[in-house]
Amino acid sequence: MVAAIVILGPAIQQNIGDGDPVARASTTVAAMPLLQQTRLVCVEVLGRSVVRRVAEELRQNGVEMISVVADASLPVHAGLDPFCDLPVCWTENAWSEAIQKLMTYKENGVEAILLVRVGAYIEFDIADALQFHREHGSAVTRAFAEHNPLEFWIIDPAGVADSDGMLNALTAAYSGRYRVRGYVNRLEHPGDLRRLAVDGLSNRCRLTPVCSETRAGIWIEEGAQVHRDARIVAPAYIGRNAIIAEQCLITRCSNVESNCQIDYGTVVEDSSILSNTYVGIGLDLSHSIADGSKLLNLQRGVTLEIADPCVLRQNGMPNRDRHRQRPGILGLGGAQLTPAREDMR
Amino acid sequence: MLTNGPIVILQLPELLNLGGAQSFMQELEPLLESHRPRIVFDCSRVRYIDSAGVEMLLHCLEEAMKRDGDLKLAALSPESEVILELMRVARVFEAYPTSEDAVRSFNAIPAEAIPQDVPWYANVFGDLRTLKQAS
Repeated sequence: MVAAIVILGPAIQQNIGDGDPVARASTTVAAMPLLQQTRLVCVEVLGRSVVRRVAEELRQNGVEMISVVADASLPVHAGLDPFCDLPVCWTENAWSEAIQKLMTYKENGVEAILLVRVGAYIEFDIADALQFHREHGSAVTRAFAEHNPLEFWIIDPAGVADSDGMLNALTAAYSGRYRVRGYVNRLEHPGDLRRLAVDGLSNRCRLTPVCSETRAGIWIEEGAQVHRDARIVAPAYIGRNAIIAEQCLITRCSNVESNCQIDYGTVVEDSSILSNTYVGIGLDLSHSIADGSKLLNLQRGVTLEIADPCVLRQNGMPNRDRHRQRPGILGLGGAQLTPAREDMR
Repeated sequence: MLTNGPIVILQLPELLNLGGAQSFMQELEPLLESHRPRIVFDCSRVRYIDSAGVEMLLHCLEEAMKRDGDLKLAALSPESEVILELMRVARVFEAYPTSEDAVRSFNAIPAEAIPQDVPWYANVFGDLRTLKQAS
């Protein structure tokens, strides 16, 4: 029997093993603030979030017992994709809770536990990884991509004595190493999210839109409204209940996620419009990610807060509430074109 | 030269919103009413620009061109460039990295000033009289 624990929270602390140059060279902790990176795996990409896709992948591979442990600081709001129908344990310390669940599974006689901290999008054969784990006899097997560790472990509960031993085993440099040969996107930056969408639309990975193609290279979800005078150039994705107005142009691997509205005459080129975003009339949005009122231009590496709700805003918000926009995934760590003082807003 | 009068460099304010644009326009109006105004907007201090600010830029450009002059932008920050591109006005303006570059662009000899019957490799760059006639 195989069980899985999915963690939404901070990266595990790395213990670097002495004398192991691979471990020393490859240990990294995500540079982005926790909440920003965690949100990347929770937002929809081509109709479904990475978290949801991980859960579905586990189910498809016969893993029936799946627990989700989420960090309590992760805000739940309309922009986050729900975690399927899985029960979620919200906790102050996600890793402690996950270790406790591991011990519970051990007591219940589970043969192998898949422990996944969802921070990257990884494609590999779970069955092959389980077989590797069994053949090599390690208590803990960790997945690696190009010598860099991934946050995916396969654990033999019988090989670990207690919870302290479990934590040490997860971070030890000498655990079994399973080399992932499939597609890996570490989602360390919002630009990685854009790359994931492009790779999905270009068939460079298995991440595909949830609906079937409307035309070759164009996916339009149920409930989406595309004006007859709008132009969608393949490959492109239009999400559920999105509205594309007259004279719009959606082109160059752009994805418009669910409940978005692209208003009259706007061009979306090589960009991702995240769910619940309104893009105003007659604009030219290129090489960017738009999330509510925030705009990240990937060419220039700048993030802007757009104060004018007629240009960019969170969709579906009444005018009086627009000043209380959701945090979104785009932190304002870069230079921002906003007033320096509160009284100038 | 084809244009008259000095080239004026003006520093745009930090906040290019409705209020900032209105107060800036009060200083600028006399200049825009001159014959063939040649203006450079130094954008290095701009930290906030909205649709009112963009509208002001377009208005200034229109007024300058009505009087056979021109308006150029200098030292745009990446953020300002993104805003101008988003609102589809970036291509309307000539933009330069520095005010000096923008000023120099006013003094460049335009292509139409060079006689068409003169071989380009022969006399155009060596014939001072031709150049003086063109200017």
